[in-house]
Amino acid sequence: MRAGALLLPATLVVVAGLLLPLLLLFRYSLNAFVPGQFMVEAVTAANYVKFFTDPFYLAVLWRTLRVAALVTVICLILGFPLAYVLARTQSRHKNLLIIAVVLPLFVGNAVRAAGWMVAFGAKGAVNASLLGLGLITRPIDIMYTETAVVIGIVAVNLPFMVLSLQSVIEGIDRAVEEAAFNLGAPPGAMLRRVLLPLAMPGVLAGSILTFILGMNAYATPVLLGGPRFQTMGPLVYGQFIEQNNWPFGGAIAFVLMAVTLLLTTLANLVVQRRMRR
Amino acid sequence: MLDGLRLRRLALRGAAGFALAFILLPLLLVTWLAFFRQEIPAFPPQGYTLHWFTTIPANRAFASGFWLSLQVSVAATTLGLLLAVPASLALARAGFRLRTPLATLLTLPLIVPGVVFGAAFYVGEMELEIATEWPLLGSAAGLVLAHTLLVVPWAMRLVGASLATLNPALEEAARNLGATPFTAFRRVVLPAIRPGVVAGALFGFVTSFGNLEASLFLVGPGQTTLPIAILQYLAWKIDPTVAAVSLLQILLLGTAMLVTDRFVKLSQVV
Repeated sequence: MRAGALLLPATLVVVAGLLLPLLLLFRYSLNAFVPGQFMVEAVTAANYVKFFTDPFYLAVLWRTLRVAALVTVICLILGFPLAYVLARTQSRHKNLLIIAVVLPLFVGNAVRAAGWMVAFGAKGAVNASLLGLGLITRPIDIMYTETAVVIGIVAVNLPFMVLSLQSVIEGIDRAVEEAAFNLGAPPGAMLRRVLLPLAMPGVLAGSILTFILGMNAYATPVLLGGPRFQTMGPLVYGQFIEQNNWPFGGAIAFVLMAVTLLLTTLANLVVQRRMRR
Repeated sequence: MLDGLRLRRLALRGAAGFALAFILLPLLLVTWLAFFRQEIPAFPPQGYTLHWFTTIPANRAFASGFWLSLQVSVAATTLGLLLAVPASLALARAGFRLRTPLATLLTLPLIVPGVVFGAAFYVGEMELEIATEWPLLGSAAGLVLAHTLLVVPWAMRLVGASLATLNPALEEAARNLGATPFTAFRRVVLPAIRPGVVAGALFGFVTSFGNLEASLFLVGPGQTTLPIAILQYLAWKIDPTVAAVSLLQILLLGTAMLVTDRFVKLSQVV
């Protein structure tokens, strides 16, 4: 009884501030939008049909999925060595290294995108270095490309991947690696047949988290992709605040959540099944 | 054989160092630009100056954005802790039937995408404003409430981590000696979980101050938070002024995180 009383205020606030508004948003997504009249009460799937039949919106969804998937794969490849070193190091500075990984997570995504803007401009750090080294003769376009967005989101999501992997690798006994080596396994085989299968829960958790964050990215695609590089997050905002088309904005929000949930559940099932074998 | 081993170790360290550099590089570049003498971010810089830091207070969007962010995050952190500490105490008790569903419900604000949360909260404000005629849309009160929802899950996680190490026998002993539940909480439980509460407060502050996506939907015209002011400026151009403001935000939030780490190890809660 007392536990209930202690939990009541927080529960009420989350129900009133998140759960009910989400239901309301879903109800909005079934309303009709008449230009000039804004939202008109209705029960229709028209907004969802519009999204899945218009090539423009399908292209936005496909672009978002492609970027999120690419980011996840790159984060896994880049993150694994760092996670391994962090998990196995006996350095006094281990905590310092972990702070260096965690700290950037919380200083804001716009600020981190700004750093890449400094790097990617026509006279930015990357072009100046490449020109200085004589590798290129005139500046290459990096800003406002998919490459810039992918690099930006990888940097944002990498800490989550590293932390997920590190916590799992720390729990793997080092002796199993040494046993594989003693039995004559080359490093590649040890990684593929011993370390990776054992680290699979971390790989799965890290990949799912990275993929979700990639799907929902906002500041990075807006700043590094420019106004013409549309992804799902900015699309929701645009429909809501700029177009005032709340029913369609609501529908896009639920498409985003449903697609993300569907794909991550699927990935979970597939990996779990393979792990059991 | 020894050389192969050494080479492998070197390659591993190199790959790890590359990933770490990748995480830190954008922050280093922003810091560098904040001290450039010329306004255009061209490399190599023509010289260095502290001038851009002195021009920040004169920029209305940044100055008022900073104050709004500060007020909103302090208010949201306070409210969030008042909700999260009792809730964590309840969830720490074993044998409570609704424990798992309620714990999941209370972490929902972290799971729902920021943009979707912002849109939903906006719709909620709109309906409530129509029903009651309270001026909610674009109000600081709405922003505080939305941020409170984001503070609660983090605060619960940090306070919960502290509570997990607390022996329940201590509270029982206090109660057996005649302390009221509130006295037992204030004199026994609270001092024991103080690191978690302090860390939760700092973490909540950082989450609220840095929030961008949800806030975008909730700010009023001409009244933005600092992260939104930075985003809007960057969508227009990048120069040492915005880099200097960014550096201030990095320093403020970075310091808060470093202090948090003194109380609860970050590697165990993120």
